[in-house]
Amino acid sequence: MKLFRRLIESRFWVLSVKEISQILRNKQLIFLLVFPPTIQLLIFGFALNPDVQHLKLGITDYSNTPMSRELISALTANEVFEVKSATLDEQALGEQVRRGQITAGLVIPPNFNRLLKSDQPAEVQVLIDAVDANTAGIANGYMSQIINQFSRQFTPDVVPPIQTQATILYNPGLVSSWFIVPGVIGLVLNLGSSLVSTAAVVREKDTGTLEQLLMTPAAAWEIILAKVVPLFILLLGEVILALSVATFIFRVPFRGNIFLYLFFAGLYACVGIGIGFLLATVCRTQQQAILTSFFINLPLIQLSGAIAPVESMPKFFQIFSLANPLRHFVTISRGVLLKGNGLDVLYPEALALLGFAIVLLTISTNKFRTQLS
Amino acid sequence: MKRILAQCSKELAQFRRDRLTLALAFILPVMTLFIFGFAIRLEAKNITLIVQDFDHSNLSQSYVERLYATNQFLPVQWSGTDPIRDGIERGLAKAAVIISPEFSRDVKAGKTSVVQVLIDGTDVNNARVIKNSIQAFTNVFIQDQNLLQSSSKILPRIRLWFNPGRQESLYIVPGVFGVILAIYPSLLAALAMSREKEQGTILQIYASSVSAAELLLGKGLAYFIVAIGQTLFVLGLGCTIWQLGFVGDPTPLLIGSVVFLAANIMFGLLIGVRASNRSVAVQGVATVGFLLSLLLSGFIYPLSNIPFPLSLITNLVPARYYIELTRDAFVRGTGWSGVWSAPLLLALLAFLLFNIARKIIRRMQLSG
Repeated sequence: MKLFRRLIESRFWVLSVKEISQILRNKQLIFLLVFPPTIQLLIFGFALNPDVQHLKLGITDYSNTPMSRELISALTANEVFEVKSATLDEQALGEQVRRGQITAGLVIPPNFNRLLKSDQPAEVQVLIDAVDANTAGIANGYMSQIINQFSRQFTPDVVPPIQTQATILYNPGLVSSWFIVPGVIGLVLNLGSSLVSTAAVVREKDTGTLEQLLMTPAAAWEIILAKVVPLFILLLGEVILALSVATFIFRVPFRGNIFLYLFFAGLYACVGIGIGFLLATVCRTQQQAILTSFFINLPLIQLSGAIAPVESMPKFFQIFSLANPLRHFVTISRGVLLKGNGLDVLYPEALALLGFAIVLLTISTNKFRTQLS
Repeated sequence: MKRILAQCSKELAQFRRDRLTLALAFILPVMTLFIFGFAIRLEAKNITLIVQDFDHSNLSQSYVERLYATNQFLPVQWSGTDPIRDGIERGLAKAAVIISPEFSRDVKAGKTSVVQVLIDGTDVNNARVIKNSIQAFTNVFIQDQNLLQSSSKILPRIRLWFNPGRQESLYIVPGVFGVILAIYPSLLAALAMSREKEQGTILQIYASSVSAAELLLGKGLAYFIVAIGQTLFVLGLGCTIWQLGFVGDPTPLLIGSVVFLAANIMFGLLIGVRASNRSVAVQGVATVGFLLSLLLSGFIYPLSNIPFPLSLITNLVPARYYIELTRDAFVRGTGWSGVWSAPLLLALLAFLLFNIARKIIRRMQLSG
């Protein structure tokens, strides 16, 4: 009780109340913490979709027999390919691939049926538009697999000697948003924490109220702590909002412990606040702060693995990205949500985040203090 | 016309004097080019893979050796017994291949022996790539070892057009041009317009005889000149580093670039007119610009993957049409016959944005 009274009467408490009421009065700030994250999660989750489905297929079927039509229906059976055009002119088919109107073109030779009936191998030609290297690779794989499987029916007595049985763990339906959304939660938290904390400091600098704060008997650490704590609570609210969007709209599974997740999110919020304070102390005006935050946030986000996986980057960037706190948080986010990882697995990332948080907060508060005094 | 040119030269003089913005106008695009151009890759190379070979026969060992020899997979050190719990769950490996003790016995007996493949599905795209490539490898292995008496009856002869080596840079880098040139020119334009508002100098313009259209065209022309500089710089640098060259008629891209830049600058001016101060303007351009041109332009994944209500918005994203043009100019090479509509639609968008901005300024002029 006594402790409580002391807290209420402390300067820290008064300053915190001032910060909170300032934040609550600042409609733009609240808007910034609610609206952009939700929109970003929705657009990222729905629009970044690596699914390879309904690829446009053009057909030139010179054979035009039940056999060739069966091959075509085998290709379209599981919705990987979708027949978009059929022509009897190979040149026209090539032109369609060239213009990108269809992704793949299939040419079935006139003697297709005859060759197969007489037990000879038949060749079909496949053209794939490889401008999009990734899609082309997957389309290529599907194409050969389906044709392979189809041609097995001609030798029913021969059993395939080796078969692979693939099991996809954690995301058996390969739902793309389950990959994107946990990463985007990290991105949203990063943007929110750094922008809001920069704004909180720079505003006082811009309006000159920082000097007034310095005149009060409050110590520098009290001023700083009073700024950090309310922001921290707000950011945790933002994380809970983002998590609700993830679970209720995208149905991303939550396999790990929610308190562990919030603990990590809190740790990352400290990192973000540290980045924001550092920016605010280095920059003189709000415009400078916002432009420099571009410099920091762009590489942080792009090299975090939230959008394109870290494993696909060149070696140099993979090593470089170890110095990126957001990369560790994205790993944690996916680990806790999808894999149900606990601290026993995620301790290296946790230690890294802790290190970043301590270093960034120490440097920025020190700089801030020297500016204050 | 004279007033437009005067507006333009005033704006350029101001731009030259502002060292920070001048530096950012060229450093930020280059940084973005490097990061996006080098680091955005979708397909993983060197996928970490665990193999548990319970068979230890010659056949299984050559299977494993050949699997690693595809240069797609990387062996990893791991300890434990359960490849899921001790390998994949810890993130040590992305996939595990388990060969049963009966592997070679079954093959010799003419039975099908099953190789179990466990794949970490967190990264959806690469999970699919891993599954496909292990399956394709197994088929090749069967044929190479002559394990199948009769060979496959239908032989697909697959040709990959435009990019037979499937270099991802050929897909990503032309897209990066579109993203960069969508964001930075409009950022500068938005900053210039909102600066007038923030400093109150816009009232003087309102009071003068400059019309809304002249104001927009004057400022637009100034930043258009800057944007042309940015374009030449970014395209030149990008083409040198990733060794891109025109594969067809370059005129669609040239004309497309001009209208694309015009559309983006009009977009920036529009945001600048609406924003109350510079930081709001920057945030507006950054958020809207990045979201639209990064996610709804077909830059990373094909446009056709975007679901219905969102796919309507893609029609209004200038970067979408420009990326079509860059990919055509540097990779596909169909020229006017393939992409004639893109410059037209870009011009339409530019005109639309110009008119909206003009209306807003006119309304403010009257009320103020």
